[in-house]
Amino acid sequence: MTRLRALPRAHLIAGICLLALVLYPVINPWNPYPQGVLLLGFLLAIQASSWNIISGYGGYTSLGHSMFLGLGSYTAGILALRWGVNPLWVAPLGGVTALVIAVVIGSVVLRTRGHAFVIITIAMLLAAQILAANFKSLTQGSDGITLQLPFWGRDFQNIPFYYAFLGLLVLTVLFSAWLRRTKFGAGLVAIREDEGKAASIGVNTTRFKIVAYAASAFMIGTAGGVYAYYLTFINPVGSFAILGSVTIVLATLTGGRGTLYGPVIGAFIVNLVSEESTVYGGGSQSRVLIFGVALMLVVLFLPRGILPTAEAWWRKHHPVEVEYTDQAGALSGGPLTTYERTREPAAEDRPLLEVRGVSKRFGGLTAVDNADLVVQPGTITALIGPNGSGKTTLFNLITGGMTADSGEIWFDGKRIDGMRPWNRGHLGLGRTYQVTRLFKDMTVQQNVVAPLPDSRWRTMFAGAVHGHEAARARDLLDIVGLGRMADQPAGALSYGQQKLVELAQVLMLQPRLILLDEPAGGVNPSLLGRLTEVIRELNRSGVTFLIVEHNIPLVLELCDPVVVFSRGAAIAEGPPERIQQDPIVLDAYLGDDWRPAESATPASGKVVQ
Amino acid sequence: MTQFLQAVVLGLLIGGVYALMASGLTLIFGVMRIINIAQGAFLILVAMITWWLWHETGIDPILASVITAPLMFGFGWVVHRLLISRVSGESSSMSILLTFGFAMVIEGVLDITAGNRFRSATPSYFDESFRIGSVSLPKAQVFGFLAAVLVLAALYYVLTRTWTGRAIRAATQNPSGAALVGVGAAGTAALAFALGSATTGVGGSILSVLYPFFPASHYDWISRLLGIVVLGGMGSLPGALIGAGILGLAETLTATYGSLSWSTLVFYVVIMVVLLIRPQGLFGARLREDAA
Repeated sequence: MTRLRALPRAHLIAGICLLALVLYPVINPWNPYPQGVLLLGFLLAIQASSWNIISGYGGYTSLGHSMFLGLGSYTAGILALRWGVNPLWVAPLGGVTALVIAVVIGSVVLRTRGHAFVIITIAMLLAAQILAANFKSLTQGSDGITLQLPFWGRDFQNIPFYYAFLGLLVLTVLFSAWLRRTKFGAGLVAIREDEGKAASIGVNTTRFKIVAYAASAFMIGTAGGVYAYYLTFINPVGSFAILGSVTIVLATLTGGRGTLYGPVIGAFIVNLVSEESTVYGGGSQSRVLIFGVALMLVVLFLPRGILPTAEAWWRKHHPVEVEYTDQAGALSGGPLTTYERTREPAAEDRPLLEVRGVSKRFGGLTAVDNADLVVQPGTITALIGPNGSGKTTLFNLITGGMTADSGEIWFDGKRIDGMRPWNRGHLGLGRTYQVTRLFKDMTVQQNVVAPLPDSRWRTMFAGAVHGHEAARARDLLDIVGLGRMADQPAGALSYGQQKLVELAQVLMLQPRLILLDEPAGGVNPSLLGRLTEVIRELNRSGVTFLIVEHNIPLVLELCDPVVVFSRGAAIAEGPPERIQQDPIVLDAYLGDDWRPAESATPASGKVVQ
Repeated sequence: MTQFLQAVVLGLLIGGVYALMASGLTLIFGVMRIINIAQGAFLILVAMITWWLWHETGIDPILASVITAPLMFGFGWVVHRLLISRVSGESSSMSILLTFGFAMVIEGVLDITAGNRFRSATPSYFDESFRIGSVSLPKAQVFGFLAAVLVLAALYYVLTRTWTGRAIRAATQNPSGAALVGVGAAGTAALAFALGSATTGVGGSILSVLYPFFPASHYDWISRLLGIVVLGGMGSLPGALIGAGILGLAETLTATYGSLSWSTLVFYVVIMVVLLIRPQGLFGARLREDAA
């Protein structure tokens, strides 16, 4: 609840600050120095807020973001010279250049995960510097480009620039706030927290990251055009300064990465420190040292930034009462409401899922070995077998977390083994994980509404939680008995509760086939009863299940057919009664305890698995 | 033809030096999954120390690495204990930012103490060359190459033939497994970081003779090293050697047939192309963690 009340208050404070900043040049027009300091603060805040979109929300750190400022400056500068227009009018084209370059770089490097991005951002910034110095015909090389002086009279000083940058800053913050509230923003946070999981619930991670990078470039590029006019001079070293990038990073980290106002607050702090160090710290020479030390100190001692740290402190001193699983509520749960299904039902005559001769090797280990598996529509199929027999790997191959070395996977008449995970999700394939993978910093409700049903741009920029969806999320949470936990951070829940939230999350996708990886692990017996009831109910309404589970009584009770995996391939398949008595299965997995009494062999020296 | 041969020979000589410099970066990444952005600053720091030793005492700059290498080993150990170990458990971006900050601190300190101007150690053989047929081999390049190969061989010996080295390699491949058989992750990481820093103790000394440098040169150097390890595959030592050879050749060939100012761009182009075609590099295996 404190969150809810804190939110409008933050906006209120921001509004008051904005009003003060708008009025300041009117009240104190004849003092250019503070105006100049504030103006540079706005510029840094624009950059920090933009950086925050890819690196704060999305979690992909860019160390070369000042490149976009330089690109914007050069675009506006060159066009102003060639076309003979005022740089201000072509400043948005600087934003377009920045956006295009970001899309190009992003398309190359953001297809993969990991370290490549941060390396490329540094490399591109330095490469841009070299290019600007060498393309003399376009950029006039190291001599730089000199622009005309502002067209307004000297009496106005830099006040027009002051308002231009302030206006851009307001736009940037509004843009960032809007993005964060859309499915796109929620998807970025999901990517930051667990990219593989995000892909499995239908988030097109590649597209999201590229769009975020482009979105983080546009405003900076536009500001760069204005900045070029403000400086009236641009050169390669000044425009593509690595120190500028560090300042952006430092500002956002200081204020609070991933928050809305943190980057702005951080920008003003860093800008002030920068000014003071220039004035008192022995000129710009010591700035490198001071920023280096500041960056290290922030990383070591204030890694989350001022705003989140303050918020955590506030929460600690104003604790919210923790609620427990509404067990009674869950158990007494009324009839399960099923939802409108937009997709046409699967053709009954062909298998819903078919795995043909699929193999996956990890070095010398063959985890899945030429495996075949068929799941008929409308069944609850069990996949059992000893640990290490390749069940979870097969799940990963089916949902696209890993790619198979050979073989084919077909889902509802479509070959899916070459598809990206989110496309498989959009077809109606959902899964849960053996060890739950919720987005721990999001609330339970945000987790449940995180899945994306399709890859349309409209879906992407719809509100993250709109009414009809919120209602459905609440229904689903009620079904698993966690309705009252909706606003808790998912990380605060117990393991068993997280399993249930993950089930609710996957149901949000309205999947046709749900792969459950050990759904019963860590769930208490009475809730387990409810869980099986939910599975049965969903099954009756047309959802097919493929379940990996070690709880054999549950499997025998719930599933038909049962497929037994051993050494990476199916060794038996059939109804539970038959599997229970199959000598091969007893040897490979179940062991003698499951041998029917009349046929039980006398205890021997043989080691039973 | 002579021009081509000359470029190839020079490229391979430079490639050897690059290989040594990149080996430290890839070793540290292999064990800790940390990209030490400060590796370039370490090189410049050592180059500055070497220059100063040479200037004050007249000691041969490349031989000065018998002083700077142990010095950097100790320096690396301390840096790991005081700084790197504090963030090693957290997200990779934090460790990158930390080492980036550290690189700036080194740059700033050098800037203030030694001043912002180009330096270069010029021992007596500085502008002399060996000649084989029509190809001339600058002595400084040859000595630098030999020193680099010697140190790389020693590094190879340490990593494959000693317990310490095997521990480091074990921790590279499987940290938790290594911990189970008694290889402490923290100690191994500190050792790897110290070893990786020690390679800059030699690389920086060679640099001081072969290239003019100033405090902010470290950005240029870290970009080259990143280009090499991205090409070879992050964390792969053989990859770093091959990548260094290829980029050394590419650089000298561009400088010979194109222009000197474009040759530095080769590294950035290579980074882009590799990430486009084969993101894991030449020798980098796709890891299980990438997929899961």
